[in-house]
Amino acid sequence: MARGLSREQLGITDALLATFGETVFRMSHNLQVREADPVRTLDWAEIERQREAMGLADGQIAARLGLTRGQVMFIRNFEESRRFRVGQQAYLLDLGGGKRYRPERVVRLEDRARYSEDALRLRGVFRFDAELARHYCEKGWWADDTVSGWLARHASKRPDAPAVIFSDQVITWKELEARVLRFAEGLRGAGVAAGEVVAVQLPNVPEFIVAFLAICRLGAVMTTLHMPYRGTEIQALLRHSRARVAICLAQAKDWSPPETFLTCLKTVVALGPRVDGCLAFNDLESGPPLSRDHAEPVAADPFLLLYTSGTTSAPKGVPHNYHTMLSNARLGVPEHRLGADDRILSAAPFSHLFGLYALHCAWACGASNVLLPAFTPPDLAATIEKHKPTALWTAPAHIAAVRAMGLLEKHDWSSLRLTIMSGSACPPQLVREFSGKLKACAVTQLWGMTETQGALYTRPGDPLETHCTSAGRPSPGTEVRVAEDGELQVRGCLLFPGFYDNDEANASAFTQDGWYRTGDLAAVDAGGNIAITGRVKDIINRGGVKFNPRDIEDLLDAHPKVLQSAIVPMPDAVLGEKACAFVTLRNPKQALTLEDLIDYLSDKDIARNKLPEKLVVVAEMPFTPTRKIIKGRLKIP
Amino acid sequence: MEQPAFDAVAAKQAIFEYCKKRGALAVGIANLADCERIAPPGHRPSDLFPRVKSVISLGVGGQTQGAWALPSKAMAYSGSTEVRGYKVAYGLAFHIEQKFGAPSVYVPPDLDPEGGPRVPLQSLKLHAELAGIGARSLAGDILLHAEFGFLYYASVFTELELPPDAPMAENPCPAPSCVSMYRQIGRTPCMKFCPAQCLSGEIDDQGRQKMMRYDMAACAELTQEYEAVPKMLAEAVADEVRTQGAQGLLDPDRKMLWYKVSAGSGAWFAQCFECMRVCPIATRAPQADPILRREQKKTG
Ligand code: B12
Ligand code: SF4
Ligand code: SF4
Repeated sequence: MARGLSREQLGITDALLATFGETVFRMSHNLQVREADPVRTLDWAEIERQREAMGLADGQIAARLGLTRGQVMFIRNFEESRRFRVGQQAYLLDLGGGKRYRPERVVRLEDRARYSEDALRLRGVFRFDAELARHYCEKGWWADDTVSGWLARHASKRPDAPAVIFSDQVITWKELEARVLRFAEGLRGAGVAAGEVVAVQLPNVPEFIVAFLAICRLGAVMTTLHMPYRGTEIQALLRHSRARVAICLAQAKDWSPPETFLTCLKTVVALGPRVDGCLAFNDLESGPPLSRDHAEPVAADPFLLLYTSGTTSAPKGVPHNYHTMLSNARLGVPEHRLGADDRILSAAPFSHLFGLYALHCAWACGASNVLLPAFTPPDLAATIEKHKPTALWTAPAHIAAVRAMGLLEKHDWSSLRLTIMSGSACPPQLVREFSGKLKACAVTQLWGMTETQGALYTRPGDPLETHCTSAGRPSPGTEVRVAEDGELQVRGCLLFPGFYDNDEANASAFTQDGWYRTGDLAAVDAGGNIAITGRVKDIINRGGVKFNPRDIEDLLDAHPKVLQSAIVPMPDAVLGEKACAFVTLRNPKQALTLEDLIDYLSDKDIARNKLPEKLVVVAEMPFTPTRKIIKGRLKIP
Repeated sequence: MEQPAFDAVAAKQAIFEYCKKRGALAVGIANLADCERIAPPGHRPSDLFPRVKSVISLGVGGQTQGAWALPSKAMAYSGSTEVRGYKVAYGLAFHIEQKFGAPSVYVPPDLDPEGGPRVPLQSLKLHAELAGIGARSLAGDILLHAEFGFLYYASVFTELELPPDAPMAENPCPAPSCVSMYRQIGRTPCMKFCPAQCLSGEIDDQGRQKMMRYDMAACAELTQEYEAVPKMLAEAVADEVRTQGAQGLLDPDRKMLWYKVSAGSGAWFAQCFECMRVCPIATRAPQADPILRREQKKTG
């Protein structure tokens, strides 16, 4: 360096650097101290006295330390480089225009929050086809939607309008935002950071909404656990989702949710009475609000990780970001003819995507949500009569149960303008009957999956037959096709990017050209309406003749004695498979035999080989939380 | 032909006028002997220009009032007006040679290649201070002027012998408002708002500077970004950067630095002006503020 001389030529060793580094640095002008103003006043005595404190040139330092000038220069520069930290200019970026440096506002770059490994792993799943992503953005399907952004918008534009209606409580948008910000701050204090997964097992209560929105505001991700889940299921999903924190009820009827959650997690937030080892939901909600400066999430951030099936062996975690979910909700709102004055009631649990869709649609347009904590037919009917929702999210099974108890007649359902039925195929007769009862209400059908949210639906204004016999047409931004084998395949701005941490499921879930294999069978009619005709897996192969039992099930559901039916393949030594019908009865006291059913079906012109060859009457069907029958759990005696 | 007698006072007057016409706000002549005595060997005027007779120092104005409101990342680009001062000094050296026939040199403001990136060939501040156009402030010895506030300085050495000026009689720093702030919180605005927290000091009972402490090394991290270039390369090679290895050189902030390197303007490296932004003298001295300057012209 000095005069082009190298370290070796100058005789610099590590020993020399270590011995003199600090001293040279201090004597040099790197650290300057001046007393009074000697140069200006030409106070020569002081100038001489202070020379070293004001900073010596290398030659002067060399003379004092017994080094060469070249050595001092090398040592000083070495020490300057060693102490020099890059990235300091980042401190300047927030300053100016009236903003000044305040030490308490500065977090060193290396100390600033970073996504954890788990968070990055989840973010890593969000790989979309670049071409398609560009298309979705160009179309305006993918925009800057976030639920936090929507909440803030409603809270500022319509602060006093109702956001949540629950029992005798009305929570306005302004109040909801305030609760969310306080709970978010509580969660932040409990260690929830951007990208982390928070598990929520709560019924449809206001706290679910507060928790969900607070998780979102922090840029974190919610994974829901269905209310019926217990120990092993919960543990498996917590493990798979890598959840950091859980929010659950402090007490349940016959078990202790906190106990289960605490076996896997350090931080559990319990709603209800205080529980040892848990944080109290109310405490978290009663502190100060989250700082307005706290980084907002953006539309490309993940915010949901929902599980579809296979809870214990190979969980199928479906991750979504705001792009996929909220584009679908925003585009769906005008299709469903929803607006800010609507009140939406979901009979489906919020732990399930169909329930969440009710929230997403309401938040997209500023409608309010009427809450029903847990479905029972009388509670649904009473809530509708009391709070007069204009829109109802429901599964056919809910309505079938309501009908069976005669609650359609006993209660006032006239506030409803829209019903969306989803969760399982809807018997045409049920739609017809329900429409007949609710003259001013459009009874529509929706087909969706956790992987897609609302992919197909009929629209208000469609002919009754369309609502009865099909799941309608694709939602905006959605493309569907029916493959050669009859399977419905989906693509579009709503589609999830792939299962989380499940290569095996991903390998078979998508076609070569990127369409999602839904596993559902579909048929398209001349009007472009798509009917879901069954599950690919439900197909019964009777001696080589394959058939879909769905139409038989529809017929059985219309039988006066049958409440619900499900046909499953039963092994047969000769034919391979035969059909076995499971039914629940409208009136358990009235007997039903296989012969009754065969007679009934024979009148309907049914091919003989499709007739059920065994009947099992059960007291209850095994249901998914959205009241879809879980055929796999029907055990043939 | 008889040579007209050289009138040093008139020459000084002409030189001052030349500078002011070209944008300098203040000009002064430093006492050469004092300069020689204070500057360390190797950095004295005579080390650079052995037959030097006079040290001329001039200062150009700092910021527009608007500029002080810029975000600091933009201020980094527009804050430095030193090149304007250098241009005047460069022209002045020619002017003196042409008009007075005396060899002159525009003093390179730059760094001594034998000292590395923190050691100047000459201290421009020393010249300006002795020439009476600035006094050392608590903001790391940045010179301030009661009337012109914060200036950038440039120097000319000449063989022309000119009558020297005296250092300023008063030091405008600390301003009265700074003294009262210091009395309350123990710090002045420059100390409080320096993002590197590299300033500290004391004010005596008469409200004068008692002690000035400046951690130049810490300040250099914010103002001398060019030292970041080799540091980043070293870190990348040692795999110490945020994005591992040489890939780290492609991180946006690092690429920004390469941009500045290739764009090559030294002025752009200087980034931080926070101590001056909050300094009442730098920003609101009557002649520092172009708007006040205009008002004064109108009324005066
Ligand atoms: C290196 C340098 C820096 C370094 C170190 C600054 C410092 N204060 O030491 C860094 C990169 C940090 C820097 C920052 C800034 N700088 Co600068 N910088 C210079 C430069 C090139 C040399 C200054 C220096 O190191 N002098 C040596 C020091 C120790 O001496 P001194 O204080 O001037 O003099 C005393 C010495 O003790 C001794 N002495 C005399 N000569 C020498 C020589 C040596 C080698 C030594 C050791 C001692 C010594 O005698 C003096 C009386 O005690 C000058 C231009 C120049 N050529 O002078 C500009 C200069 C000082 N910078 C200037 C400016 C404006 C800035 C910034 C505001 C700009 C920015 N945003 O980057 C900041 C302000 C920081 C601050 N609070 O001071 C202006 C100051 C104008 C003014 N009004 O005072 C100058 C004069 C450039 C100019 N053309 O006007 N700068
Ligand atoms: S230039 Fe910036 S870092 Fe340096 S002393 Fe001034 S405020 Fe501090
Ligand atoms: S703000 Fe300006 S006047 Fe006040 S102490 Fe600092 S340098 Fe001096």
